[in-house]
Amino acid sequence: MSLISRGLEEAGIPSVIVSVMEPLSSPSRPPRQLIRKLNIGATLGRPGDADTQRETLRRMVALLSSADAPGAVDRDA
Amino acid sequence: MGDRAALEGWKPKFAEWVEAAKPFMAEGKAKKAFAIYPWFSGEGDPFARLARPASETRFGLVTTGGYSIEGEQEPFSPFPSFDDTPPRIHAVPVDVDRSKLRIDHAGYDHRFAEEDINCNLPLDRLREMEAAGEIGSIAPETQVVMGLQPNVVPLIESLIPELVARFKSDSVEAALLVPS
Repeated sequence: MSLISRGLEEAGIPSVIVSVMEPLSSPSRPPRQLIRKLNIGATLGRPGDADTQRETLRRMVALLSSADAPGAVDRDA
Repeated sequence: MGDRAALEGWKPKFAEWVEAAKPFMAEGKAKKAFAIYPWFSGEGDPFARLARPASETRFGLVTTGGYSIEGEQEPFSPFPSFDDTPPRIHAVPVDVDRSKLRIDHAGYDHRFAEEDINCNLPLDRLREMEAAGEIGSIAPETQVVMGLQPNVVPLIESLIPELVARFKSDSVEAALLVPS
């Protein structure tokens, strides 16, 4: 997915990836990455947890707006 | 394109890895195989900026969830692909009949998404954010690709240009990427 992110940027489309597996997403240097402590297969939040799903998407959108250089990261504490 | 330019140098490393990984894969030891995987490193760091506030921007979504629409799309092969076959992309409308969706993907437990699709294909959440004015709009079709693609050659040469074409056709201005 990191390479897709780079390819979209190359074509002029800004993008952001959410990652719950940083060792898999970081080596290819995605332009913007939200790194969350969530589960594989529930990357945005667990079933029925609309609040977490919404928070993840909001943080992705926020990172799209705020990042001013490639390699931008927002990470769960 | 920066990543395309770096492909030639990567191909021999990948071919070498495929040979080294075969015995591990045959024994089902994927972790051992990927511990020696030659990660692709592209040239430069592309970066595009939002042209307008998110509340006025049209968003597209890509997920690697392995979804297909029964009777309309051939199911994905759930296992890693090593050859140069162009990977398929399934367009899944935001208002798809969810009873027709199936998941084929060996890389994650489907139970979460089967219980609530918003775990990795956030159709409801995005429509809510659109209705609330947090995002300008969501493209009518989300794009589903297969994860588990160790051979990045067809990904870079075929899949990414096709995704870009679909997004441009849908007037998508920014992309949300959700792996599984």
